[in-house]
Amino acid sequence: MSSMPIANPRKSVRRTLLLLLLPAGIALMGLAWFIHGLLLEQMSRDFVEGRLKDEVAFLEHQLTRTGADLKKLDTGAYFEDVFHHAFAIAIEDENQVSPDKWQPLLEALIDDERTGPFLVGAPTEINVAGKLLAYRKTTVINNKPVVIIVADDLGELHQTQQSLHLWTAVVSLLLVGLLASAIWFGINLALRPVKALQLALEDLRQGRETRIHTQAPEEFRPLVDQLNQLLDTLDQRLERSRDALANLSHSVKTPIAAVRQILDDHERELDPSLRREMARRLSDIHQKLEAEMRRSQFSGPQAGKVAHPVKQARDLLWMLGRLHPDKNFELSTDLDEAHRWPVEEHDLNELMGNLLDNAGKWASHHAELALWETGVSFCLQVADDGAGVADDTLTDLGTRGLRLDEQTPGHGLGLAIVADIVGRYGGQITFSRSPAGGLNVLVVIPA
Amino acid sequence: MRLLLVEDDTLIAESLNRQLTAAGFTVDEAGTAKQAERLGQQEDYRAVVLDLGLPDGNGLDVLKSWRSGRRTMPVLILTARGDWQDKVNGLKAGADDYLAKPFQAEELLARLHAIIRRSEGRSNDLLTVGGFVLDENRQYLTLPNGTDHSLTGTEFRLLRCLMARPGRVFSKEQLIEQLYSLSDSPNENTIEAYVRRLRKLVGQDTIETRRGQGYVFNANS
Repeated sequence: MSSMPIANPRKSVRRTLLLLLLPAGIALMGLAWFIHGLLLEQMSRDFVEGRLKDEVAFLEHQLTRTGADLKKLDTGAYFEDVFHHAFAIAIEDENQVSPDKWQPLLEALIDDERTGPFLVGAPTEINVAGKLLAYRKTTVINNKPVVIIVADDLGELHQTQQSLHLWTAVVSLLLVGLLASAIWFGINLALRPVKALQLALEDLRQGRETRIHTQAPEEFRPLVDQLNQLLDTLDQRLERSRDALANLSHSVKTPIAAVRQILDDHERELDPSLRREMARRLSDIHQKLEAEMRRSQFSGPQAGKVAHPVKQARDLLWMLGRLHPDKNFELSTDLDEAHRWPVEEHDLNELMGNLLDNAGKWASHHAELALWETGVSFCLQVADDGAGVADDTLTDLGTRGLRLDEQTPGHGLGLAIVADIVGRYGGQITFSRSPAGGLNVLVVIPA
Repeated sequence: MRLLLVEDDTLIAESLNRQLTAAGFTVDEAGTAKQAERLGQQEDYRAVVLDLGLPDGNGLDVLKSWRSGRRTMPVLILTARGDWQDKVNGLKAGADDYLAKPFQAEELLARLHAIIRRSEGRSNDLLTVGGFVLDENRQYLTLPNGTDHSLTGTEFRLLRCLMARPGRVFSKEQLIEQLYSLSDSPNENTIEAYVRRLRKLVGQDTIETRRGQGYVFNANS
């Protein structure tokens, strides 16, 4: 299973996170600032528009009260107090504009077509900072057509708005700074266990520790467990091969010395009994070598090792079919050829090979290998139609605790090897009578 | 009976030569892969004893070159490594039996006689239909694309039955005769399962189902 790496794996996690999070934080903050500007603009315009509309309504109310007579409209001090905005009223041909300096601009708007709120560019002779927002309404009061315009200078508002926006920018920059330090702090905090792991590995390398004891975070725990398991396996293997070599050299040297003694003794004649004795010593050496070889070859459960049960089974069945052309070797499985089991390939070959070899030897016509798996285990079963084993021996087969060094491969049932391998995988081996009367061997290896 | 003994260890070769001669064989000896390959191609032997570890090459390569030259004499291989994968590889290369070193001369002789006896009655025929070649002796199927597949006993017998008469319809009852089973008597479902397995090998259309009648091996597809 391969997945596209998001970042160059040679880069450090810290750098990748920083390169990703910092620009993202800054960009998001900038976006927020920009949106803030837009909202501010919209809000202030809505606010001014509302005010202008209210005042148009107020003027309209006043005019209705006075019967649309401009002269009766009280434009005294009260008006100046209430009214913060410039306005123009036109009834038939009569106009009134306040304040006076806005007169040319507002009078031009009386004949405008637009109603409601709109923006007007201010001519230079009027001393205003920016654009004007005007609200124009046409209505009929006392059968006279009336135009009411109220306008306000947006320039001033813009200025306060801009300074507010600027302040927001300053605050945003401060927040970006805080965000950056929070990210930096967070990454360093999150990566602290990695540093601890590094130190633990260094300790391991220097030989100060034999295992990694660091409290790793959840994400790293499988890694640490796997590493420790690997170290266990390595230790076991080293120990085993050392023991095996020591045992072997010890047990082999004596027969070699004995044979040499006889061969070096020129006076002595090689009579048949002496020959037999020498042959026996050599067979001893061979047996011990074979036993140790097999023992060292079985790997037992190991990470990253897979076997192809169907493919291997087919090869073995085919081979036994060639060696015993008068017998039929059959495979029964629903698994397909590409199917994999987490068992070491050599181990599975020895397992199936020995069981099938047995079945081939004892079967009268037919031997069958079945492979299947349940959710919790991998199962294989070898059955033959031979004479089988007596019932009392049958129970013995399973309980005697066959060990490789107690039974010589090639003699007897060869089940010693099978039992040894199954034991290493923590599996179970069950012997029973097959439907055709022969031996039925079921091996279950836990997943 | 002429026999070729390929063994580079002079002690073993000498001793085996004497014992084989005593058992009635006329023995030619070869100590190198080159010599063995030449002799095997040129001379006509009743059987060959072939050691795999030769000073100038692997015995399996010698064996493969004999077999690709259609030399069919029975071959017994001698190997120092006794694991199952080695045995499988030996037989796939074309050996008839293997013997792991060290061995006793009596066992070697018994095995030799067994493979000679087996080779006497056997046909070295190849059943060829379309691009498919079925090696009856070795129970191997070669596909049109040149790849080899080992077959289990039942797969082989079913395929031999179908390929012997391409184009002819075989009913399920006829095919059931080719089955053995340990447990219950084989039924039509078993046939269907085997046909599915064979189709995975030879292709979906090569074995055609005739509804209500049976199966046909299609030579043309």
